[in-house]
Amino acid sequence: MKRFAATAFAIAANLLIALTAASAHPHVWITMTSEVVYAPDGTMTGIRHAWTFDDMFSTFATQGLESKQKGVFTREELKPLAEVNVTSLKEYGFFTYAKADGKKAEFVEPTDYYLEYKDQLLTLHFVLPLKAPMKAKSLDLQIFDPSYFVDFSFDDKTKTPVTLAGAPEQCKLTVGKPQEMDAKLAQQLSQLPPDARNSTALIGAEYSNRLSIQCP
Amino acid sequence: MTAAILSVAIALLLMPGVLDVVLAQTGPFGASRPRAAPPPADGIVGWIFAKQAEFYREMSRVIRAAKTDGSAVWTLLGIAFAYGIFHAAGPGHGKAVISSYLVANEETWRRGIVLSFASALLQAFVAVAIVGIAAVLLNATARQMCDAERVIEIASYALIALLGLRLIWVKGKGFISAARNLGHPLHAVGAAVTPHDHKHHDHRHDHHGHDHAHHDHKQHDHHDHDHGHHDHDGDEHASAWGHAHGPEPEELAGPGGWQRGLSAIVAVGIRPCSGAILVLVFALAQGLFWAGVAATFVMGLGTAITVAAIATLAVTAKSLASRVAHTRSGYGMLALRGIEVGAACVVLAFGALLLVGYMVAERGACL
Repeated sequence: MKRFAATAFAIAANLLIALTAASAHPHVWITMTSEVVYAPDGTMTGIRHAWTFDDMFSTFATQGLESKQKGVFTREELKPLAEVNVTSLKEYGFFTYAKADGKKAEFVEPTDYYLEYKDQLLTLHFVLPLKAPMKAKSLDLQIFDPSYFVDFSFDDKTKTPVTLAGAPEQCKLTVGKPQEMDAKLAQQLSQLPPDARNSTALIGAEYSNRLSIQCP
Repeated sequence: MTAAILSVAIALLLMPGVLDVVLAQTGPFGASRPRAAPPPADGIVGWIFAKQAEFYREMSRVIRAAKTDGSAVWTLLGIAFAYGIFHAAGPGHGKAVISSYLVANEETWRRGIVLSFASALLQAFVAVAIVGIAAVLLNATARQMCDAERVIEIASYALIALLGLRLIWVKGKGFISAARNLGHPLHAVGAAVTPHDHKHHDHRHDHHGHDHAHHDHKQHDHHDHDHGHHDHDGDEHASAWGHAHGPEPEELAGPGGWQRGLSAIVAVGIRPCSGAILVLVFALAQGLFWAGVAATFVMGLGTAITVAAIATLAVTAKSLASRVAHTRSGYGMLALRGIEVGAACVVLAFGALLLVGYMVAERGACL
């Protein structure tokens, strides 16, 4: 009996430990502001993101970069790094997922990108253009990392981290805040399915930064 | 028969590695796979997960504080230690590979502790070396450090895969000979007079570290791992093959000392924790590189403890399974060898899946 109990304990303990195996925590924290850009004719053309990286990543990323003045990096000096960042992010689809009227919306490579270094924090500014400008009754936008190595959150120091630029007047914007990380959610997060990038039924998505725009 | 099946099942479940592979996240090129099984404990997993992130973020805050307040360094060490403990529960710190290695090789739990500590400290050392050489000496960029890390990762995963292959080869032979034994009924203790020479050549018993006239043994270059075998099978020998062995002494280091398991230590240890690299670079930038180094090693200590605990559980489970399997000498041995081959396969699977990017250990800040 004792042996059985010991075996049962060993199994349970191992199972528990094994199941924590899939939980990697974020190594990069990004606070962001986003602006949804519209053309004069009322079609949505893209999103202008400003992603501010956390202090550890900012320090790591600027390690070894040449600068005229120590501790100060100009846009020009950061240009190569910006290019590297944008190239890497491309692989992950810029962590931006959009659905217009229920259909997946495609983005193309960003134009107009640059890095800014202020208060020892790096901020990546870039415009993510839609493949084709669109007019949609409802747009659902999410920004998140399915594997949760990067943590995204809207900048809570700004009153309006998400804005519409030039949108038709009747369009309504709702920003969905990420849910509080309760135990159940954290548990779900720790068992993220692999390559869930294209599914909106993701746990990461629930925790993500979501905004929706309804236009008549 | 049921005991054998039970022991195989137990052992397969027991290995953290198996579930690690099943639940692993994929890299950019991974294919879709079905969702994971439901969790066993409510909240605990999530709690560990949340704690990891918490401690990690705290470290940067405390490093900053340490610029003006020297005593903050002690806080940093405390947090780094806690982070190491929690973080090792996550992917990439060798717990699955080391546990599987211990199970495959029938090592003692003490050997498991040695391996866990050695590999964790090696990881810490490698992290410090990378940042020390790249950032301090060469003033390399993050991209260059990431490239170096990538090369080391590939080397580590390849070594793990090779280790797995070697284990499969050795344990596979053991399995086959145990399978052959099923055909030959084993003699009782009374047959102690059987000259062991004959029996051994038949069974290709390649685990003995004794001074037997084993021609097989000379062909192996695997001196490093086969001796822990005797801890479990001491009694079994006496009954199954009628040896006049005394009980084998419990081995701590065994012949070969710290070199035993070196391959596992190196395979797991050369890949540094990406969190440690970020902390080191950050500390360097704040002019507190030595604090960063201390924190890294303390982190390694925490990691070592967790990995050692998990490894001990794996070894305990294996020895429980082996005692269960013991009662059925023929099928029991087969089941045991089967478990070992299974564990060897887990090691190979890890190396292979990590190599092809199907599984991702840690992405760190190397986007």
